[in-house]
Amino acid sequence: MRPLASGAGPALRSWTKHSLPLPFSRIAPAIVTMPHRRPVSEYSPTSSFNSPFKGEEYSPTTKIPSFGKYMSKNSETSNRVFQYFMVGSMGLLAAAGAKATVQDFLVNMSASADVLAQAKVEVDLAAIPEGKNVIIKWRGKPVFIRHRTESEIKDARSVNVQSLRDPQADEDRVKKPEWLIMLGVCTHLGCVPIGEAGDYGGWFCPCHGSHYDVSGRVRRGPAPLNLEVPGYEFPTEESVLIG
Amino acid sequence: MAGIASGLFNSIFRRNYVFLSTVFLGAFAFEIAFDTTTDAIWNRINKGRQWKDIKHRYVQKPSEDEDDDDE
Repeated sequence: MRPLASGAGPALRSWTKHSLPLPFSRIAPAIVTMPHRRPVSEYSPTSSFNSPFKGEEYSPTTKIPSFGKYMSKNSETSNRVFQYFMVGSMGLLAAAGAKATVQDFLVNMSASADVLAQAKVEVDLAAIPEGKNVIIKWRGKPVFIRHRTESEIKDARSVNVQSLRDPQADEDRVKKPEWLIMLGVCTHLGCVPIGEAGDYGGWFCPCHGSHYDVSGRVRRGPAPLNLEVPGYEFPTEESVLIG
Repeated sequence: MAGIASGLFNSIFRRNYVFLSTVFLGAFAFEIAFDTTTDAIWNRINKGRQWKDIKHRYVQKPSEDEDDDDE
């Protein structure tokens, strides 16, 4: 093989030099497996593309006009930065507009201020003596307000929370320990429990016999959860605002 | 000028996540600025005609309870 390769190599190269375009002359040495490589310039000295459209058929109507007049005078970098800046500004405005549109639709669905104001109930706490229950109506549901005594508070806080069905500390259910405020709807099937009744000194639901303690936590019976605590606050010392 | 442009390109536009984060942060800032500006214009046009401008004529400071009852 060696004499054949060494003999055919130069002949093939001289042949490609004349007739084949540039890419073939680059492939040729890889096929022949030359013992030592030579620089590429030796393989393609002056190969140039002669366009068939040039020559005597050339007419000035096919001349491509120069667009140099329209080219930007600025550098490439500043042009590119300008383009990206415009794209980014457009995205910025679109993002702000889309966010505002979605937000307006969502805000439109929420309750208005007058509806919210009417849905609040303010109760004067000074009229409720210690150890007494008051039931008020709030959004169509009864709300229990109990002015708890010291012993009841101590009683409610001494319970082992982990032993309850719905473990919840008394501290998490009241904002002021002497005022217990919760929805008077049994969590079982929605009856209204009876106050100061039941085995745990709290509430007793007559429908199916659920017992709640003085913190409104379920202690016995079918109810799965503690009595629900609504959102409330104390605007003054002597009043509570439910809602 | 070219230094500013190339610095801007290298710092913001070269990486797409930086570009996108800049766009969203810019949208956030733009929204605040836009809302503040338009609110200020609105308040200037309607000066003296809004509830916050005439509230002191109808509501006295200490009796907030009466105000709540009216609502």
